[in-house]
Amino acid sequence: MKSICKDIRRQILHVSKESGHGHIPTCFSIVEILWAVYQVLRHNPNNPLWIERDLFILSKGHGALAHYCILAKLGYFDQDKIKTMGMFESSFGCHADRFKVPGIEASTGSLGHGIGLAVGMALALKIEESDRRVVTLIGDGEANEGSVWEALLVASNLRLPNMTVIYDDNRSHSRGLQIVNPAEKFLAFGCDVTEVDGHDVEALIEANKHRGQRMHAIISHTRKGYGCRTFVENPYEWDRRSPNEIEYRNLLEELDA
Amino acid sequence: MRKQFKDTVMDLSLYDDRTVMIFGDVSVYLFNEFKEKYPNRFYNMGISENTLISVGAGLSAQGFYPFVHTIAPFITERSYEQIKLDMCYNRFGGNVVSCGASFDYAWDGATHHAYTDLAILRLLPGMEVIQPGSTKELDILLRSQYKNGNPTYFRLSDHPHKIDLPTEFGRGVAIRDSGAELTVMTAGPILSNVMKACEGLNLNLVYFHTIKPIDKEVIQRFKDTRILVVHDAFGLHEAVCEVPNLSVSYHGIPDMFCGWYGTLDDIRRKLRLDPESMREVVVRHLEQS
Repeated sequence: MKSICKDIRRQILHVSKESGHGHIPTCFSIVEILWAVYQVLRHNPNNPLWIERDLFILSKGHGALAHYCILAKLGYFDQDKIKTMGMFESSFGCHADRFKVPGIEASTGSLGHGIGLAVGMALALKIEESDRRVVTLIGDGEANEGSVWEALLVASNLRLPNMTVIYDDNRSHSRGLQIVNPAEKFLAFGCDVTEVDGHDVEALIEANKHRGQRMHAIISHTRKGYGCRTFVENPYEWDRRSPNEIEYRNLLEELDA
Repeated sequence: MRKQFKDTVMDLSLYDDRTVMIFGDVSVYLFNEFKEKYPNRFYNMGISENTLISVGAGLSAQGFYPFVHTIAPFITERSYEQIKLDMCYNRFGGNVVSCGASFDYAWDGATHHAYTDLAILRLLPGMEVIQPGSTKELDILLRSQYKNGNPTYFRLSDHPHKIDLPTEFGRGVAIRDSGAELTVMTAGPILSNVMKACEGLNLNLVYFHTIKPIDKEVIQRFKDTRILVVHDAFGLHEAVCEVPNLSVSYHGIPDMFCGWYGTLDDIRRKLRLDPESMREVVVRHLEQS
C-alpha cells in the first residue's frame, strides 16, 4: 500500500516537473485519502459512466493532479498523457474538466461548490431509492467558504446516509481563518463523525466503509506535502511551485528516505 | 403568475416523475398540493440560495428536472457563481424560477429590487433567459423548455399583462409594424404600460418574452428605424444591441439604487415608466425623427 502511494507521489512530482504545474503540497496531503476512497467506491475504469457506479467529487479542485495520477493508476487512462497538464490543448487542466477526463464527475476549482453538488446528487439517489453513494473531498481552507456549511446544514436536514464528506485537515487554514475542532462542528451539523490519520490507508478504507443513519464525515488529519521533508517544512513556498531537475532528484531521494 | 407556475408544474408532473421542486422558503403554501402528491419530490430548503442552485445542479446530473425557486435578487445575484459553474459550466442544467423582480417587492426597498438578473444571466454560456409577460406565456414556455437539459431562467411576475400574443421560445412578436421611423421594443409584463403609452402614435412595436436567445431576425426587420428600448430592467437593451449597426436608445433603469418604497406603480412613476411619462418619452423620440 505504501509503495503504491509512494509511486503516485513520484508521478505527481514527475508531472509537475515536466509541466511546471500542480499544487504539490495539497496533492501530497490527499494521496492516501483518494486511494482509499477508490478501494471502497463502486467504479469501473473500463466504463467510467457505468450507471451503477458510486460518485466521487473532488470539491477541493486544486488537488486535480493527485486525482489524475490516482485515476491513471486505476486504469482510467494512460499516465503519460497527464504530463501535458496545463498546456493549451491538454485534456488535463490544473482544475479538472469533466468533459475531458474520464472518471471526473464534476468540474471543480472554485471552492465551496463540489459539496453542494454532492448533496444534490445524494438527494437524487435517495429519491430513486438507489444504493449508490456519493463521496466528496473538501479542504480545511475550503471550509472557510460559507457555502460549505450551508450545504452541510441542508444535507443534515435532508438526512442523507448515502453521503460521505471527507475533510482534509492539512492545516491550510492555519495562516488565515482558523477552523477550530472540525470534528465537533461536523457533529453539531448532524453527521456521524470519524477521525483518522489521513496517511493511514487501512484506517481510511475502514472509515469509508462506515454505514449509518446519517451523513458521514471523515476528519482526515494530514500534512501538506506529506512524504517529502522539503514540502512539509515549507508548504507555502511550494504551494504553486514546480521542481527543477535538481530539486526533482532531491525530492525523489526524500520520498525514498 | 405563481399560481400558473404551480398549475403547469402539477400538470407536467402527471406525466413526468423526474420533476423536483427545490424551494427557498417562498411559494411553499401554494405548492401544498404538489407536496402532498409527490412528497419525495418537494423540498423547502430554507434561505440557502447558493445551495439551492448546487443541489438543483446535482439533481440534474442524475437525470432529474429541478425547479429551483425563490426571490429574484437572492437566487440570481447572490447565487451567480453557482449558476455559472454548477449549472452552466458543468452543463447540469435546470430551471431557475424567480419571483419578485423588478419591483414586485417595491415596499421592501433596494435590497429586494432586482433588475440586473436578466442582464447578468444572459452573459452565461448555454443559459436561456425568459421573462414571461403573461400566464399564457409562462405556461407555454415552461412546457417547451423545462426538460431540455439547458439552464433556463424564468422570471415570474406578480403583475402579468393580459395581452394574448403568439408565443414560441426564442421568437419576438412584431405587435405593430406600420412602416414608421421609430420602433419601440419591450419585454415582459410592462407591455401593458407600453401599449397604453403608444396608443394612437405612429410607431412600430416589438415585444419579447425570450431575452436569450434574442430573436435577431425580428430586430433585423426594423434595423433601418430608430429603436427605443423601454424596459423596467437591464438586459433587453444589451440583447437588442447584439445586432450590429443599429440606432438604439434605452428608457428604463437609471444608474442608481432605487431607494424608494411604496408600490410597483409608485416606483414605475418615479422612473418614468408609467404610461403617461412613457408616452412623453416616446413622443419626444418621435419628434426627433
